[in-house]
Amino acid sequence: MDEEPERAKRWEGGYERTWEVLKEDESGSLKATVEDILFQAKRKRVFEGHGQVRLGMMRHLFVIIDSSRSMEDQDLKPNRLTSTLKLMEFFVEEYFDQNPISQIGIITTKNKRAEKLTDLAGNPKKHLAALKKAVDSTCVGEPSLYNSLNVAMQTLKHMPAHTSKEILVIFSSLTTCDPANIYELIKTLNALKIRVSVIGLSAEVRVCTILTRETGGSYNVILDESHFKELLMLHVKPPPASSSSECSLIRMGFPQHVIASMSDQDAKPSFSMLHLDSTGEPGLTLGGYYCPQCRAKYTELPVECKVCGLTLVSAPHLARSFHHLFPLEAFQETPLEEYEGERYLLAWHVKKCSAWSVISSYMTHCTAVLAVCRLTGHPDVRWPDYKTSVYFSTRN
Amino acid sequence: FRLNIEGLLVYFPYDYIYPEQYSYMLELKRTLDAKGHGVLEMPSGTGKTISLLSLIVAYQKAYPLEVTKLVYCSRTVPEIEKVVEELRKLMDYYAKQTGAKNDFLALALSSRKNLCIHPEILHANIVVYSYHYLLDPKIADLVSKELTKKSVVVFDEAHNIDNVCIDSMSVNITRRTLDRCQTNVETLQNTISRIKETDAAKLREEYRRLVEGLKEANVARETDMYLSNPVLPDEILQEAVPGSIRTAEHFVGFIKRFLEYLKARLRIHHVVQESAPQFLKDIYEKVCIDRKPLRFCAERLRSLLRTLEIADIADFSAITLISHFATLVSTYSKGFTIIIEPFEDRTPTIANPVLHFSCMDPSIAIKPVFGRFQSVIITSGTLSPLDIYPRILDFHPVTTASFTMTLARTCLCPLIVGRGNDQVAMTSKFETREDFAVIRNYGNLLLEMSAIVPDGIVAFFTSYIYMENIVASWYEQGILENIQRNKLIFIETQDAAETSMALEKYQEACENGRGAILLSVARGKVSEGIDFVHHFGRAVIMFGVPYVYTQSRILKARLEYLRDQFQIRENDFLTFDAMRHAAQCVGRAIRGKTDYGLMIFADKRYARADKRGKLPRWIQEHLTDGSLNLTIDETVQLAKHFLRQMAQPFRQEDQLGLSLLTLEQLQSEDMLQKIAQIAQQA
Repeated sequence: MDEEPERAKRWEGGYERTWEVLKEDESGSLKATVEDILFQAKRKRVFEGHGQVRLGMMRHLFVIIDSSRSMEDQDLKPNRLTSTLKLMEFFVEEYFDQNPISQIGIITTKNKRAEKLTDLAGNPKKHLAALKKAVDSTCVGEPSLYNSLNVAMQTLKHMPAHTSKEILVIFSSLTTCDPANIYELIKTLNALKIRVSVIGLSAEVRVCTILTRETGGSYNVILDESHFKELLMLHVKPPPASSSSECSLIRMGFPQHVIASMSDQDAKPSFSMLHLDSTGEPGLTLGGYYCPQCRAKYTELPVECKVCGLTLVSAPHLARSFHHLFPLEAFQETPLEEYEGERYLLAWHVKKCSAWSVISSYMTHCTAVLAVCRLTGHPDVRWPDYKTSVYFSTRN
Repeated sequence: FRLNIEGLLVYFPYDYIYPEQYSYMLELKRTLDAKGHGVLEMPSGTGKTISLLSLIVAYQKAYPLEVTKLVYCSRTVPEIEKVVEELRKLMDYYAKQTGAKNDFLALALSSRKNLCIHPEILHANIVVYSYHYLLDPKIADLVSKELTKKSVVVFDEAHNIDNVCIDSMSVNITRRTLDRCQTNVETLQNTISRIKETDAAKLREEYRRLVEGLKEANVARETDMYLSNPVLPDEILQEAVPGSIRTAEHFVGFIKRFLEYLKARLRIHHVVQESAPQFLKDIYEKVCIDRKPLRFCAERLRSLLRTLEIADIADFSAITLISHFATLVSTYSKGFTIIIEPFEDRTPTIANPVLHFSCMDPSIAIKPVFGRFQSVIITSGTLSPLDIYPRILDFHPVTTASFTMTLARTCLCPLIVGRGNDQVAMTSKFETREDFAVIRNYGNLLLEMSAIVPDGIVAFFTSYIYMENIVASWYEQGILENIQRNKLIFIETQDAAETSMALEKYQEACENGRGAILLSVARGKVSEGIDFVHHFGRAVIMFGVPYVYTQSRILKARLEYLRDQFQIRENDFLTFDAMRHAAQCVGRAIRGKTDYGLMIFADKRYARADKRGKLPRWIQEHLTDGSLNLTIDETVQLAKHFLRQMAQPFRQEDQLGLSLLTLEQLQSEDMLQKIAQIAQQA
């Protein structure tokens, strides 16, 4: 039990018949073997995934959320829809954290139709608001994989070739109701180099297997809520850039954060450009980021300037995306007995790295470091949440 | 790679081997060494065919004097093609490894369109063909009689071999058969009179030959040239064709008389059952036909057809059938029964008289095969319980073994559902099968499963009538409509074209994410010949225990015979028969180690030890106490859990070392010890 503290409570699992699950664990049959295979795969990912693979830095990702009848199933608490949306909120934050110069859009599908919840955009706030609102929507009818993929494709196909075009489907139903042959659509997606990944909430569906295999995405089915979160977080890290993707130069602005102190008499509060379309609070502030081209003011980065269309980022943002381009080398796995020297690997690394790559190298290495700890016999050590105090203290 | 199996060098054309394949080859080699017969059960999808081929071919190469020929019998054309494909791979591998030119001749006889010319078989080292070429006396005589004694005969997918034997020896005669026979006789008569005018010498020559007797055939058999034919028993060969049917006209007259007698017998209003001697006595009293000429009927007709140079034998199938019947009924006094029914049980108002000349003893047809060849191997995925086959086929195997499937993950999940959520027992037992609650519970089970199982589900019923009743009832209760919200429904019918259409659409629906359910019948076409790999069958539901229709008179006669002759109790045989069909049905879903599927037995009777114990070992060992007598809810929970587990990524590396071995791994001491446990001697 210690190994899985975040697993749903046993008594919530319906007729799970815990005594048998435990028995199976010891005898090394079903449950144990499958979990073992999963653990091996995870290790492999951590230790071999850090090869010199260039990852896509600018991503355009559409998330398709199944909102059909099957999302009312209560095997995730309180039900599949609420649980998914909550995890999605978390995902959106993490996504922009790790991919500050990327964009995301959300599509829902129910009743054989697909509907755009939010368009492709680089600001998490709008997505989060939409996700919060979607909790109250009802789940009816069947999903349509074809229609929702088609909606996503219509937007993605206009995106420039140097970006990574992705679709992530959260698929709860076991069926799809399609107006046309989905295999034709898969061919088109493949031709457009759009990568489709699927996270299934119930079981392996053939059409998803084919869809992901043909477009180069991944297909996973959740075991429980914590596994769901883990699978979702895999998509935070950008996928390897395809070798054929173009390279191009992009203009970017690096606005200075101007802090006006209250004591300064000349400072006048002003509106942020972002609040132009939000009807909420007026948002009069003193300081902010000023676009180096047109001097429009923003309170948050990254953002695309409303006035001149320049992409505004801060240096640390770029740095965090930058490490996807030049991944760090993998750690060597050393058994504890053979290892002599400092055990505080983390401190050592932070010391060695230069000023602003600290942030990025910390981010990648911290997973690996903790994995080493895991090997030294502390199974309780959890995979880290990427958001840490270190990170925030350096940001501002 | 190359394997060393107890001193025999075996070329194996794949890079990896399953541990059970090694074990299988080991047992096979021991059987060949002992020059005896074997019964081997190994689950499908574990590479049975290639194990068989590579070992026997290696054996032939190593001991060319001991084993000269491999005769591989399979059931259907696609299966034969699969065997040929594997064989080709093996031969290519041999050629690559040894560099020598292939001196092996292999021959496959599949369908009529590529039927081969007879003498070639003599020289081939490997012959692959259908069961019938060896078992059916009508064909065996044409194709197989010159196979040498030192052949190894393999019957693959042999779980139904007793029925094949019985069918090949049984004759059903209807009014239509007799009518067509009548036309045949007339054609014969006309041809004879025409030939008599043009070429009388030919008929005289035939007459002379018949006087000489069938001596040549007898000589050949004594010198061990031919496989004996059960339709042509040894005693006949000693004698000449009796005078009463020697001339062509007399023979046609004789057949006519016989035909009239049969017609008269079919004009009845109640069921008649009698033994062969009773029948012979009756025919002697009524139309003065003796036993002796009857016995020569089949041979005499063949001679006549040859003499008359009739090309299209197919037109004469009716008269051939009758002549076979005449020979069989007069030859065997035991093991057969004659049942004349005025109408079918299901349609008692429509007169449709049938004469069943029914074989009750499968050992009669297969006896020559066991007697002649030094090694006969019977193998299939489902042969449990292993001891019953030697008993009903009347032979003594030197090896009987059952192999399990070694698995890196438990990819099959047998569950026995005994109750609905309302605790009403679920069973297809005769007394309760009309029960409203049972039918509703069956419906609920299918409904619940349709909501959680992805892609394809195959459901089997015990009979067409039962399926029709249940589906009609589901329709009235609105269950069908609810199921259709989850998946499309397709139904197997007795019409072959309709069924293959349904099957095609079913597969399409599984492929494109619509999902489908196929409702079919145990013992039907779907349950025997069609595989539901991967997404085509993620779950198989067996509604009820597929007992054979026990009111049938033929079956009753057979059960009686089994009890008297082989001391097998009726119930034991019926349960055995039901369980082998149930195992066949659920086995459709798992066709390999990367495949996975649920096997749901929806009848509380499956939980009983006498039923459970008759399932193949590879299913039984995954059937824990926790998966017996479940309710629908429990089943759904277990199934959901199983499907999620199985959906996790699974690659070949995960199997390596556990259920998939390289040569080095195979040679480790540790592994060899494990392998020794795989085979279970029965």
